Amino acid sequence: MYIIKNALRCISRSKGRNILIGIIVLVIATSCCIGLSIRQAAESARSDALDNLSVTATISFDRQSMMNDMRGDRAEGGAMQGEASGERPQFDRDQFQQMMGGASALSLDEYLTYAEAESVKDFYYTLTASMNGSDSLEPVSTDTSSDASTNADADNMQGIQGDMPQGGFGGGKGMMSNVSQGDFTLVGYSSDSAMTSFIDGTATITAGTVFNEGTSEYDCIISEELSAYNSIATGDEITIINPNNESEVYALTVVGIYSDSSANENSFGPMGFSSSDPANKIYMSYTALESIVSASSQVSETITDETTGRTYESAVTGTLSGTYVFDDADSYYLFEEEVRDLGLDDTYTVSSSDITSFENSLTPLNTLSKMAGWFLLVILIIGAVILIVLNIFSVRERKYEIGVLTAMGMKKGKVALQFMTELFTITVIAVIIGVIIGGVCAVPVTNALLESQITSQQNRNDMVEQNFGRPGNMQGMGDIERPNNNMDANADFDKAERPSGGIVGDMFSQGADYITEINSAMNFTVVLQMLLIALLLTIISGAASMLFIMRYEPLKILANRD
Amino acid sequence: MSILSLNNISFSYGSTPVLSNLSYEFEKGRMYCIVGKSGAGKTTLLSLLSGLAKPSSGSICYNGEDIKDIDKYKFRSKYIGVIFQSYNLLTKFTALENVVLSMDIAGVKGIEKKKRAMELLENVGLDEDEATRRILHLSGGQQQRVAIARALSYDPDIILADEPTGNLDSDTQQEIMDIFRRLSQAGKCVILVSHSPEVAAMCDERFELKKVSVPTKKRKSTIF
Repeated sequence: MYIIKNALRCISRSKGRNILIGIIVLVIATSCCIGLSIRQAAESARSDALDNLSVTATISFDRQSMMNDMRGDRAEGGAMQGEASGERPQFDRDQFQQMMGGASALSLDEYLTYAEAESVKDFYYTLTASMNGSDSLEPVSTDTSSDASTNADADNMQGIQGDMPQGGFGGGKGMMSNVSQGDFTLVGYSSDSAMTSFIDGTATITAGTVFNEGTSEYDCIISEELSAYNSIATGDEITIINPNNESEVYALTVVGIYSDSSANENSFGPMGFSSSDPANKIYMSYTALESIVSASSQVSETITDETTGRTYESAVTGTLSGTYVFDDADSYYLFEEEVRDLGLDDTYTVSSSDITSFENSLTPLNTLSKMAGWFLLVILIIGAVILIVLNIFSVRERKYEIGVLTAMGMKKGKVALQFMTELFTITVIAVIIGVIIGGVCAVPVTNALLESQITSQQNRNDMVEQNFGRPGNMQGMGDIERPNNNMDANADFDKAERPSGGIVGDMFSQGADYITEINSAMNFTVVLQMLLIALLLTIISGAASMLFIMRYEPLKILANRD
Repeated sequence: MSILSLNNISFSYGSTPVLSNLSYEFEKGRMYCIVGKSGAGKTTLLSLLSGLAKPSSGSICYNGEDIKDIDKYKFRSKYIGVIFQSYNLLTKFTALENVVLSMDIAGVKGIEKKKRAMELLENVGLDEDEATRRILHLSGGQQQRVAIARALSYDPDIILADEPTGNLDSDTQQEIMDIFRRLSQAGKCVILVSHSPEVAAMCDERFELKKVSVPTKKRKSTIF
């Protein structure tokens, strides 16, 4: 007890030295607190976002895996064209097209089988088809040419256009079927729950109603722009034509007109296809669209391309896309395992735009968190070294005091304990002040650093855009309407102007809603970590000075003083 | 029976012998003065007696037990009170705090430590105001008194004092010597180191040290 009393007395009697030590510990503590707070904020934001994240996933053909297989086959066979002669190896287009043609999308039955996985909360699906309009139905376009794009262009774009999630391949037939690109995209929804843009408020009906769920009637809803462009009102009938066979005509009844706020962001799809323009999307029930696709396949003819000599069917091709809904990210990860058990082939991959988007949204904060971790480590090392040196000086300065105390019969261990108590008291006081200052500063500092991270990230995107000569934004490629995830428990999400990532791969990812602001960073964990750091610093810096105390002999100290 | 005895002790600093085959016995209730010229080993002997240094050979016994076998911290904090030539007080503490700390180290129990310390300081001639002043604000004589009070704080059997009157005027010197005299009369064994003939004259026995030689023992008759 007297040791503590004595320690406190010594602290109060040597203010200058102790204030100096205190200031250094305060700087270390404040820096550590901010560093820990940033890490904690990242963790909290991640945890909160995950808690509130409604995860959807799709199953698509694993294009990357197929490409790897193709490369593997060529490597084994040594069949690369031009390889033997040392020329640059040629891409085997025939093999590629054969493989793509052989790859088939999942059937509805298969989708439904995987929907039985325990982790799945809900399942819905859409059928997408491309059709031409008639004279009375022209696509909304800023381009005067509205003719259907065909053949080679369609070949190139088939993989990335339309309503396939994350660039995944769909199509009821082969991947590389030589079909024409229509002016309109017809999307058939399996249920109301599949129409997520109407659920989250991105789209809303302005006239009429949405077609009845699951109806087989050829009812549809069209966009306000299309309605205005062609002077169509609810109750009117519109005519759509198979782009491969102009004799195939289908009449649809417009039962509603909708406005879509996301259309402002995605005014045009890639390469300027009018069918990719959200204004040219026509929504109807899955059953109705499936009926059109089935009817078209019954009257299908085989057409031979005069230029390439390839043959293809004239039937309207429907692209089926299933979306699985999960309660949380863990269920999604479980689903990945479950579908394999249910027989999903390795050539298909399970992916989630929500998870990708979620990870992208955390990119700046995660980067900041990593930097904070290194910063914390450096501060701790430098701080510990400074404290060790200071304490050694302090002990040397107090050598006489140590000599007197030990000469009076105080054990060296107790002297050391008193010194440690002094140091710990100063450290704890400085850490408490540091935690208060750090707690106040952490949020603005983190937000300022986060802002600079996001700016840096966006600058990189700008650079990529500049280098590519066109925007790297490929958001229009998919129309999986994701639920508007509310992840605002501890952080503010803000739609960044461009998708995340400075690399090409990221360019093709979903747009990222970066976390641009954190509201609180300090919590009990940070306080506890700070106390542990205080203890650690005391032990480390105190241990070095203790060695000196143990070495001192009172007689020598006092004799030298005399 | 002697309370402290030297049995053929020798001590050297490296290869330089300071004390050689020294034997002597100190008894309770008597006041001793170790005298000798500079470099004769007076302070060294005091260090050996206080347990701050160990003899190269021979033994020092406290109540018949070799002090090597006694915990040195316990020996210093309980059995022996040392008054250093330069007092060796904690300068940032007050006189009272120095004395109380000494009691704490010795493990003196009770809540009256402060009161007891104050009494001790008053006994050596310090008033309350002086007792609550920091050491740096006290004169040499006052510091000497604090050092004496501190040495007495845990009621040791032996009092060792190195040049206790060296820096003091004659009046203060007399007062300090009176204190030692009272202590010896109270049954303490008081051992002083001094080169002052006056101090030696006031002691019961004089123990003269010569450079690396066996000291001669001159037993005096009672002075008082």
